[in-house]
Amino acid sequence: MKIKGSQKRNLGLILSLIICLLSLSGCWGKTEVEELAPLIGVGLDLGKKPGTYLITQQLARPKQGGTTAAEVEDRTFSIEASSAREAYEEVYKISNRIPFMGSLKVIVIGEDAAKAGFNDILDFNQRYSEFRRSMFLVLVKGEAQSFLNLKLRNGQLPAMSIKNHMEQGENLSTFPTVRLGHYLTVLGTKSTAPIIPVVNSIKSGKGGIEYKDGKNGEEIQIQGAGVLSGDRLVDFLTDKETKGYMWLENNVVHRLINTVGIGESGVNFGGQVLKSTTKYKVKDNDGTIELQYQVKASIAVDEVMGLKKQLSEAEWIDLMKVAEESFAKEIEEECLLSLKKQRELGIDFLGIGRHIEQRNSAYWKTVKEQWQEKIVDFPISLDVQVTIHHAGMSSGSAMTN
Amino acid sequence: MPSWLKMIKELTIRPKVQQIRKPPEYSFDEDMNKTLSGQTVKEILSKSSDVVFREFFLQGKERIPCMLTAVDGLVDKNQLDFFVLKTLMVDLAGHPEMAQLTIANVVDKTLQSILPGLEFRKVSKMGEAINAILSGDAVIFFGESKEALVFGARGWANSGINEPVAESVIKGPHEGFTETLRINTSMLRRKIKHPSLRLISLKVGDLTNTDLVVAYMDKIASPDIVSEVLRRVSRIKMDGVLGNGYIEEMIEDFPYSPFPQIAYTERPDVLAGKLLEGKVGIILDGTPIVLVVPAILTQFLNVNEDYYQRAMTAILFRFVRYVGAMVAVLAPSVYIAVTTFHQEIIPTDLLMSISAGRQGVPFPALLEALIMTVVLEILQEAGLRLPKPIGQTIGIVGALIMGDAAVKASLVSPLMVIVIGITAVASYAIPYYDLSLAVRLTRFPLMILAGVLGFFGVSVGLYAGLIHLLSLRSFGVPYTSPFAPLRIRALLQDTLVRAPWWAMKRRPQLLDVDEPKSGGKGKG
Amino acid sequence: MGGTFLPLATFVTAAGGRDGWMTVLPGLVVAIPYGLMILSLLSKYPQKNLLQISERLFGKWVGKIIGVIYMIISGYYGGLMLAVIGQIFEQSIIALTPRWVFYLGGLMLVFYLAENGIEVFARFSEVVFPLIVIAMVLNIGLSIQRIEPGELMPILSEGLKPLIFGVLKVIPFPMEYILFLAGIIKFLPSGKQALVHLKVEVWRTVFLVGILDMLVVLIQILVFGPQETVRLSFGLLVLGKMVEISRTIAGVESLFMMVWLGALVIKSCAFFFMTTWALETVLNLKGLKWRVAVSVIFLGIAFGFLRGTSLTKEASIVESYLILPFAFVWIPTLWGAARWKCETNVR
Repeated sequence: MKIKGSQKRNLGLILSLIICLLSLSGCWGKTEVEELAPLIGVGLDLGKKPGTYLITQQLARPKQGGTTAAEVEDRTFSIEASSAREAYEEVYKISNRIPFMGSLKVIVIGEDAAKAGFNDILDFNQRYSEFRRSMFLVLVKGEAQSFLNLKLRNGQLPAMSIKNHMEQGENLSTFPTVRLGHYLTVLGTKSTAPIIPVVNSIKSGKGGIEYKDGKNGEEIQIQGAGVLSGDRLVDFLTDKETKGYMWLENNVVHRLINTVGIGESGVNFGGQVLKSTTKYKVKDNDGTIELQYQVKASIAVDEVMGLKKQLSEAEWIDLMKVAEESFAKEIEEECLLSLKKQRELGIDFLGIGRHIEQRNSAYWKTVKEQWQEKIVDFPISLDVQVTIHHAGMSSGSAMTN
Repeated sequence: MPSWLKMIKELTIRPKVQQIRKPPEYSFDEDMNKTLSGQTVKEILSKSSDVVFREFFLQGKERIPCMLTAVDGLVDKNQLDFFVLKTLMVDLAGHPEMAQLTIANVVDKTLQSILPGLEFRKVSKMGEAINAILSGDAVIFFGESKEALVFGARGWANSGINEPVAESVIKGPHEGFTETLRINTSMLRRKIKHPSLRLISLKVGDLTNTDLVVAYMDKIASPDIVSEVLRRVSRIKMDGVLGNGYIEEMIEDFPYSPFPQIAYTERPDVLAGKLLEGKVGIILDGTPIVLVVPAILTQFLNVNEDYYQRAMTAILFRFVRYVGAMVAVLAPSVYIAVTTFHQEIIPTDLLMSISAGRQGVPFPALLEALIMTVVLEILQEAGLRLPKPIGQTIGIVGALIMGDAAVKASLVSPLMVIVIGITAVASYAIPYYDLSLAVRLTRFPLMILAGVLGFFGVSVGLYAGLIHLLSLRSFGVPYTSPFAPLRIRALLQDTLVRAPWWAMKRRPQLLDVDEPKSGGKGKG
Repeated sequence: MGGTFLPLATFVTAAGGRDGWMTVLPGLVVAIPYGLMILSLLSKYPQKNLLQISERLFGKWVGKIIGVIYMIISGYYGGLMLAVIGQIFEQSIIALTPRWVFYLGGLMLVFYLAENGIEVFARFSEVVFPLIVIAMVLNIGLSIQRIEPGELMPILSEGLKPLIFGVLKVIPFPMEYILFLAGIIKFLPSGKQALVHLKVEVWRTVFLVGILDMLVVLIQILVFGPQETVRLSFGLLVLGKMVEISRTIAGVESLFMMVWLGALVIKSCAFFFMTTWALETVLNLKGLKWRVAVSVIFLGIAFGFLRGTSLTKEASIVESYLILPFAFVWIPTLWGAARWKCETNVR
């Protein structure tokens, strides 16, 4: 019987497979969950010896007997090593647990390391298969080590906290969220300079922010960004410049915005950006190529300040037009600051080169080689349009007298 | 040769199969070369205390000695008394017809003009006569006549028609098959009142002589499948056939496969529905379970309730069942693979809590899962055959007390208890017990593979299983149809989706049914 | 065409730059005339594979030589595919398990599949193919939020020339399929109805696979940009790693890997079949013994590539310098010879 024979053979095959597997005692690469120390954050600083880095690794360790995720012990090590693998070896030795890279969320780059260039030490993070290209990159003014060793008020690990901040970034759109993959892609374009957001801690009482129990821990915020040339930090952008970058890069999703200090009428507005798009146009004005940014934003007015009297319906409509103008001016100012910074630095962190390449690749080929010089005075124009979607639940203001 | 060696040899070396299975002493199929007289029968059957012999005389032209033989308990005594004994001995005594009787013509005369009653027939062979007696008929022997008269007066205690426990429905008929073949065929006949319903009788089992009926719809069922079923069933050679399992194992295509290749049902409505799809039913006397061939994999995940509920809800519940089956197969192995090899797939927060839960658990995840699954199987097996109230206690003790205590004692991690619990519940979502057994069986190799090789092992296991399933055929029909070979219509009509009845204009393409386009709506 | 999508993006982007994705479909469409040629041969010589036909048309010895080349190519490439299974698993998700386990596991599947015959193989592909499509679509769909704006632009900035090189890089992949078709036609029905059906099938396969592969390349260029796409060795796997479902479930690449394994098993098994067919036609060797021998050879070839980095290169050499010229020359010549013979017979 032919069928029977092949059936028996199949059965034999399956059995031999199972026996084969059962007899394999060594379970390669097998690690139980509790043997792992999930790596949450990595900090990169320069080491004292030349050619070494101070690599800070923030490992989380679930508390014994603890059942909820919040109860984690902070185990942070800083190791001076010349390669990432060397650093991990040391951590392995100390912590007797396997550092688990799959959970790495944030790489914090210290100022010194950023200035000296960090691509070599970052290579591990994009090559080793456990890492993901979706992890966040942030810069810190000062040392990454001391930042990761901060004690936060809410008890979270600083790295975890940065990750949470980053994930909320879209709702605020004041800083770029840069993932490793994005950074590498930007590096790949060659003409564009990467930009990485800056995280800093805030002490109570500084910068107009106060909070209770300052001794128990600190708070952190992400504000501003660093401009890199290749992998070397060149300069930091201020908050406003970063905001301008966000507008110009079409990265604004929602923004909270106010016009204090802009409006001439003495009436100031606060609002939320509901939607914003930025378009790029490459114009050819008799041989001079110009890039035009067209920013279109829809804003809902949430705050009207400095209004002295009750307005009629027609006046209210006029006021909203004023609001549109003021908001446009505010946005324009932010953008101009950013553009100005770019000219000062002479580094194309706004990706102007790419915009030109995309829209006029023939022209791009002619300027490609001397782009570094061209960028300093490349003609750019700006067109900001704001639409007020609505003005909240009331028109006018509360009666003052 | 020393005697002890001989003894060992006797003990260890088994005689060949033929030697064990001696041919039965009385073969009913052969002619017994004895005259068909009551006395011979009496000799053969007299050692059975349940056989009764009632001897009397008929006064015709000659005085004819008669003997009524039947098995007490299998015949309806009232019928025998009223229609045979009373008629012959009292009502017609001295009747002109009676006066003409001789040994030579007594059987024909009685059959034609004396005895009323639907089920009378004559037999001329000893084997048939004895068979009839033992099957519950009454046989009247007339002196030295060459023939005897069989009176079908079967009437024994039945278990009544109840709703089958294993296949209950909420909305739909509540009757189930019984242990009696004739009642079962009558229930089927009541569902399908059409001449093309064919019921072919056979007998299986050399000693038990069990009746078996092969049921199919002529012109719908493929003649190839019907003849294949008849061929396989008639080839069965065994002493006794006491349940459907005997038949199932003797006729299935791939005896080494853990997957069921023959469907079964206890419900006449389901059987009727399957026959109308072109399948073939095998009804065995003595068991309420009817086998349905050919079977395909997806059919084991469908229940008849699907056809009684509204199409939309039926589709949802089918989907739930498919998901349940997947979970039942995969949950423990995926958990093992994920926690020991692919931790990156776990969200960090969950990773922390799994890690915290596993603190102090002495076993690796694989062993933990294996232990839990084995315990689960033991609990299931223990609860299955116990009387209901005790069974429940077992469940409570096992699941609640032991599970909770095991977690508290750090023997297993809480998440593992959840995973195994989900697996157990999901395997109950598989409506056919046979398939759920197969699923329980496949779980173990998958778990080991996952524990050794992670997802690579799981996928090797799954693909090997898939290849195995693809190579299966049930009576010539690919087991995995309509997925492969792909039959889109069948897939959308009655596999993934249960199309509304008004949309099922044609019969499902699962089998090569004759006349694929039936005129009317619905499957029939 | 099982495993083409894995390294494809790297090749075409290296050759065609930013516009590499456009080369995929034209490259695959080349398969159609070849497929139709084979089908027309099928209608003339039913129940015969192309090796038998060439033996008949070109004489015994030329036929044998072709058969041996066919055998060597398919055996070698099949072994390479087995090695790829090991490489992608080791490289991306299970780093510490020794290679031979993957080879053995993959080979076990291939052998088991081959033992069950061509029909089960066809059904296996039928079941796994939708899975591959679903996995690809999921992979692509879930990566959409990682798209870097503007990476695709400008279109055709480098002119058409790189595209031609890109197409040349793609053509070997459909040629593998064509070579498989050359062997499998022995088992295909040759009735008129069936031929029409098969033709439709060839068109459909080419376009379905073409569009899917194109999307795979496209999404990689969109997400990584051209430079990174070239740099990554298996971009699709990296893409799988980057997938995040609503910020909680990340790194589902191991699930995708389960499906890719199926694709590679299909591909390897196809070459396994091809090797055994060639053995059967050329040397008249068949039976379990020789199938075991073929699997041993596969395993041997796979073990030859313990250096993963040279594997991709080796595979692409076989594709470009063995498979492509062989199929490119052999099938049209055979078809032409058959036409010519047919015509002379009529006269």
